[in-house]
Amino acid sequence: MTSTLLRIVTVMAALTALFGSAPAHAAKIRIVITLTDLADFAREVGGDHVDVFCLATGIEDTHGVPMKPSFVPRMNRADLLVLVGLECEHSFLPALIEASKNSRIEYGHPGYVDCSAGVSPVEVPLSTGHSQGDVHPYGNPHYMLDPLRARIAVTNICNALVASFPQYQADFTRNRDVYLARLNAKIVEWEAAAKPLKGVKFVSYHLHWPYFAERFGLDYFGTIELKPGIDPTPHHIAELIADMKAQRVPIVIREPQFPEKVPKLIAQQTGASLVKLPIMPGGVPRTETYIKEMDYIIHTLVAAVPAK
Amino acid sequence: MKRFLGWSSALCLAAVTLSAQETNQLQRLELRLQQMQDSFELQQRAMREDFERRVREQQAQIDALKQQLETATNAPTPVAQPPTAAAPATPEQVNQLNDKVNQVVEAQKKVLESEFNPSIGFVGESVFSYRSQGPDQTGSDRPGGFDVYQRSMELDVAGSVDPFARGYVVANASADAATGEATLGIEEAALETDSLPGNLTLKAGRFFGEFGRLGYIHEHELPFVNRPLVLDQYLGGETRTDGAQVNWLVPVPHYVSLTLGLGNGFGGDSPLNDPGAYRALSGLNYFGRLSTFFNLTPDWNVETGISGLINPDTQDRGGVDGLTGPGGVPMTEKERRVAGLDVKLNWVPLQNNQFRSFTWGNEVLYSDSRYQFDPDGTLNPANPSPGFSGDEYMQGIGAVGLYSYATYKWHRQWSGGFVFDWVQSASDNHDQTFACSPYLTWAISHWNQLRLQYTHTDHNAASGLPPDDAIYLQWAWIIGSHAHGWQQR
Repeated sequence: MTSTLLRIVTVMAALTALFGSAPAHAAKIRIVITLTDLADFAREVGGDHVDVFCLATGIEDTHGVPMKPSFVPRMNRADLLVLVGLECEHSFLPALIEASKNSRIEYGHPGYVDCSAGVSPVEVPLSTGHSQGDVHPYGNPHYMLDPLRARIAVTNICNALVASFPQYQADFTRNRDVYLARLNAKIVEWEAAAKPLKGVKFVSYHLHWPYFAERFGLDYFGTIELKPGIDPTPHHIAELIADMKAQRVPIVIREPQFPEKVPKLIAQQTGASLVKLPIMPGGVPRTETYIKEMDYIIHTLVAAVPAK
Repeated sequence: MKRFLGWSSALCLAAVTLSAQETNQLQRLELRLQQMQDSFELQQRAMREDFERRVREQQAQIDALKQQLETATNAPTPVAQPPTAAAPATPEQVNQLNDKVNQVVEAQKKVLESEFNPSIGFVGESVFSYRSQGPDQTGSDRPGGFDVYQRSMELDVAGSVDPFARGYVVANASADAATGEATLGIEEAALETDSLPGNLTLKAGRFFGEFGRLGYIHEHELPFVNRPLVLDQYLGGETRTDGAQVNWLVPVPHYVSLTLGLGNGFGGDSPLNDPGAYRALSGLNYFGRLSTFFNLTPDWNVETGISGLINPDTQDRGGVDGLTGPGGVPMTEKERRVAGLDVKLNWVPLQNNQFRSFTWGNEVLYSDSRYQFDPDGTLNPANPSPGFSGDEYMQGIGAVGLYSYATYKWHRQWSGGFVFDWVQSASDNHDQTFACSPYLTWAISHWNQLRLQYTHTDHNAASGLPPDDAIYLQWAWIIGSHAHGWQQR
């Protein structure tokens, strides 16, 4: 028994020595990122210094990225873990962090980069009881759909990179400034393009769009879900249809992660336009980057606004 | 006498007068107190309203400042400015303001786990059932016919112990079949740390040891109502042990996980060794699992593992001559050995896995325990002079058991599937049992779930038991904290 144990320990030690974590700065900086919008930012800011691995491909629900064991070795070797925060990733990230056994990326360590730092949240619930559905205790986490708040995430990623790898500070800050300049120019363009959206009422499947609505002046009428994470009841659908008819709501947004049947029914019953919009880059074709995603969202929505 | 009467009258009069004065004074005092209370409440209300007004004003100011900051930070380039960016402030002022506002915002964020430290959750699970046979024909401790069983009343408590370790406790009370009393027992109480070098995690205490795939899952989290027969018979249900286990994430680019552990016993319903006066290391149970994972496509994956359990020197587990082998010969387990292979195929579509998925899970166990046979039963302690008679002999019995289930989810709330069980008795491999169970699950929400299951159980001739049909309606619910653990994925 003792000799068997000794053999096992010897093999473990040899494997650890052979394949164990290489020094963090030996090659590119290894960043694991939860969602594709942040991955886009990290590539822009990090440039050639970073190797970005994103857990999501873009078509997943932001709260429902599958917890694959194949993520674990990547996270085990990561220098930074970049996340949306505000409990957006609560259903998959804590267990993955636990399994990855990498203290660098655990909560409270420099490698744990919560991009929501400095973002003013909306819809902070008064109660986190499950009677309100699967609410997020710190507020709605879908702030990335507001490009002005998204800029804070860009800065947070840059700050984290500079703090951990100060030798590349000049490159990171230059890349950040270049990217923010492009983003600022696009924001000007988007705000001009989105003028027809002012005051336009809409419903969506999940409560993804409060920041977007606030930024571009839309009127968020309601959600198809009864509560966050809770499927609609027939009564809720009937009530929503009646209210939408009464208030002449012209747009129904379906996020690709949700089934089409109910949004389509609501759109047909109310005469509203049904539009499929991504919630992160890659959610639909030709939205590989954050800028392309926002372009797509705004132009699709503007096209759906009925002529007056 | 007259003097006495006079003094008495005077005293009474004085007393009445004093009493009246006291009453008046008391009334005045009460009035005064009431006035003070009214005044205090008025002041308190005014202060509260003033305070709330100030909070609203300050919140509005913070929101306005945040709005300005969002437009002013990050030094917009001269190429183009968003129309909302205006704040004519120096970068230093902006940074100072930014820090202040961020402090206010961050102060509102709390790590919820610590808000109620430790985090607390509760699981309730009721099983309504009908079984066509009584316990003498099924081996179950539940009655035949109609039954309502409060199987789980489970309190889950978890939190950080210190910067290096976390701890958790799962206390469960199940209703006793005979008395209905729910006796609280500790299912798990363990400390876990990954503050070890070399990708190691150590767990120690009472916990569900890692063997196979469903042995360490709590009953209410199983994909069907009852734990598979082979896990019940070979392991003793859930893989509970008092001991320690080390998990090693092998440092290679592909996911490989190795767990090794030891424990006093192994299996929640499995008898412990007789502790005796002295126990060598061979008297403990040793277990382990090696597992890996493959992505077949972005939506399809397979997870597989091999497991082992050995108790080299089993000391009268289940009692001397407490078991009966082939031909009804009394016997005693002397060495416990179980090996397992598990394979799980998953279809988890990236885009809508909350609405659609498919799982095909399989586990095969091989029990190869060694027994001491005692044909004439002379070792039985019930004998007047128990001892060896010379007919005793040692022999191993190999037995196989398996389960296979498939679950298809076609709606966020609805899924259904089928589980097949087949097992040879570990002490008599001629005795075989099989069962098949279709099930339908309605997950009303993430924390509230109903499941309907029909189970047909049959036995071969060697067992001498009749077939059994059962219908179960399981209702499981959760309040409070509920973590999505790695093992429950």
